[in-house]
Amino acid sequence: MIVLRDISKHYGRVRANDGISLTLEPGRIYALVGENGAGKSTLMRILAGHTVPDSGVIALRGEEHPGLTPAMAARLGVGMLYQDPLDFPALPVWENFRLSGPPRDRTQVVDRLGELSNHLGVCFLPDEPVAAMTVGERQLLELLRLLDLGATTLILDEPTTGITPEQKRDLFGLLSRLARQEGHTVILVTHKLSEALEMADAIFVMRQGRLEARLTPPYDSEELVRRMFGDTAAQSTDSALPEIGQSRRVTLADTVFAGPKYHLGPLNLSAAPGEIIGLAGLDGSGQELFLRGLCGLDRMAAGSLSLNNAAHARTHFKTLRRDGVHFVPADRMSQALFPDLSIRDHILLAFPEHAARLEEFHQSQCVERFDLRAHPDTPAKALSGGNQQRLLLSLIPDDAQLLLMEHPTRGLDAGSARQVWEHLRHRCAKGATLFFFSPDLDEVIEHSHRVLVFFDRALVADVPRNNASVEILGALMAGKKPEGTHAA
Amino acid sequence: MPRNFWLQQAIWIAAALALTLALTVLVALPSGAPPFATLRILLMGGLGSMSKFGQVLTVFVPLLLCSMGLLIPFTARLWNIGIEGQIVLGAIFCTGAMMPVDQGGPAHIALALLAGMLGGALWALLAGLLKTHGRVHEIFSGLGLNFVAMGLAIWLIFGPWKRPGVASMSGTETLQPSLWLERIGSLAASWTALGLACAALALVAFLLVRTQWGLGLKAVGQNPKAARLFDLSPRLRMLQAFALCGALGGLAGAVQVLGVYHRLLPSISSGYGYTALLIGMMSGFRILPVPFICFFFAVLNVGSIQLPLQLNLDSSLSGVIQGLLVLSVFVTQGLRAYLTRRREER
Repeated sequence: MIVLRDISKHYGRVRANDGISLTLEPGRIYALVGENGAGKSTLMRILAGHTVPDSGVIALRGEEHPGLTPAMAARLGVGMLYQDPLDFPALPVWENFRLSGPPRDRTQVVDRLGELSNHLGVCFLPDEPVAAMTVGERQLLELLRLLDLGATTLILDEPTTGITPEQKRDLFGLLSRLARQEGHTVILVTHKLSEALEMADAIFVMRQGRLEARLTPPYDSEELVRRMFGDTAAQSTDSALPEIGQSRRVTLADTVFAGPKYHLGPLNLSAAPGEIIGLAGLDGSGQELFLRGLCGLDRMAAGSLSLNNAAHARTHFKTLRRDGVHFVPADRMSQALFPDLSIRDHILLAFPEHAARLEEFHQSQCVERFDLRAHPDTPAKALSGGNQQRLLLSLIPDDAQLLLMEHPTRGLDAGSARQVWEHLRHRCAKGATLFFFSPDLDEVIEHSHRVLVFFDRALVADVPRNNASVEILGALMAGKKPEGTHAA
Repeated sequence: MPRNFWLQQAIWIAAALALTLALTVLVALPSGAPPFATLRILLMGGLGSMSKFGQVLTVFVPLLLCSMGLLIPFTARLWNIGIEGQIVLGAIFCTGAMMPVDQGGPAHIALALLAGMLGGALWALLAGLLKTHGRVHEIFSGLGLNFVAMGLAIWLIFGPWKRPGVASMSGTETLQPSLWLERIGSLAASWTALGLACAALALVAFLLVRTQWGLGLKAVGQNPKAARLFDLSPRLRMLQAFALCGALGGLAGAVQVLGVYHRLLPSISSGYGYTALLIGMMSGFRILPVPFICFFFAVLNVGSIQLPLQLNLDSSLSGVIQGLLVLSVFVTQGLRAYLTRRREER
């Protein structure tokens, strides 16, 4: 049994954890839910020994500690599985498996790996490089590695990001068995309420650094939402999707995009003004190249691209940008913003023509339109995820006609995500066309007129809104052909 | 708050100097040098008389030109370590341009300075192109090109440009005195050189702090991928930064030829490029401290000439002290950052 008592952790003036007490019993599955910045990660990092709390006690196996180190946590059986697996992609499976345990030779490692895999009903090839495996498989390997180290408390941080619905089912089945049959404690950190409702024996709700509630079945999902977001509960955008225009905004004819690693195409499709097109696919399935090719960052090797009925035989990023194509990458800090430059600098770089009246422009563009209330001298890296996204949106010129966005709501809480979507729909209602990718199929389905599904570096299906469901898209993403869809 | 800030800043600089002093004593003792006498001679050797002060200024000029130049590529997070070679190429172009001239005037001198800038800029562009189009890290290409530049200078001095009859390390034939930079009274320094250095200071400061180009360059350094999305032409901007820095390095080389040695020497750069890199690091690549550090290093440099004369010590001790100073600044900066972080975590 693990008892956290009165745990507090402050970062400057921010109270990441504020007097949190909770008890975790063996053989149970817990869900820890909350918006971004609610303090979930801090609390779990404290339990895994990566952060030392300012005050409070952690009681584990009858010992009381004011704080843990990663080594102590591991010795006491706490193992954490991070959202991005902490493995070494260049090494084969068995070497990854060996790295953290006691010194062993290859035979011993392979035997142990086989024993654990057999026990849990999974399968690994010891010599396969980890780089060749899917995120789901890498997660399982990490899980096995933690179990090998003797972990009895497993913390999983957003484990279903980037894996297929099938892999998710397998993972959840495995976690259930670990808890029910072997008496492990499982903690699922997630922002997807459906997962918490489906899996957990108890749900801890965190809000603004405090433990807001401990809910037990039968769950009332409305209560859960209210506890998470407060009384102004987050309602999904229920406004209708924008009207689709008659003309053609963009047309691809036998187009082949060539990325650094692979080709995609030939593609034949078109999109109209006002249309919102969702892209679905596992990481590396081709949707990245599709967006980068459309904006001219990656080469168009064959075919043609017509923008507003003007054909381009070759694509140049600069030309397309001038013609209203705007690409927004998902990884804001490493690809889209300048970490040490201020909001003001970003505006000046994006809109040099407004240099003379910068203050005024900042006020109208950032503060009034996007509610970006940080001081204009704040460097981008000091902004919250939501504010970074607001800054990115405010940098898109008004005349952008073709928006290409990788995961527009990545890392945003429900409230900020709703704002982003309201804005994007508004732009499309005024005639812009939007292609967007999201790993969250619910989000893709909710906001798209139609969905393009990518699998194995190819466009495999073009699914209209009425046919799009998580099951169908999930099957297509995994390379299966469900009935009732036509191949693209 | 600002007063407090400056006070803190001063305390940390004092701490760095104290640490240097302590380390210098440690280094000097085993070699049998009296540490305080050594320091006194270093300072007085640079500032003891007007003529020594003039010497200091002649060192100060190329150091300031090079360090201000280096700030430009560094704004884009580029280390133009090839500045040493760019000084040499500046000197070569300047000498080459003035070879056929018998009787010169201000126009010729201006032309010679421009030739030097061109030489440095071209040499820097070579490193830049290798970086932007050849995926060669600028530190490797710069270092390699430094050796090539040095070899080129030696080949010219011993080959095509050798003095009639004698080819020696003492350099090419002396330029016409009408091409020399005019000196300030009896001092070794010249107004032209000093003026150019100050102009470089003002120009670079304006360019980096006040212009859209400077902001774009900073953005390129922060995140080249995002710079591409902002349509800032990162490659072009990097090349411009290299070329500007090379031009200032080349100008330093030309000033060495026209104002100091009046000919091309194998060691015309005197290691000023590397010293300027140290100065840049020590300033944290901020503009304000650069001229002061340049001056300080120039004093040490000139003062060290007195070491073998007065104490029978090797003049390389001043290099050791410069190195210790830079290390001390880093140690105290690291300590300061560590303390700040600890205070914030509490």
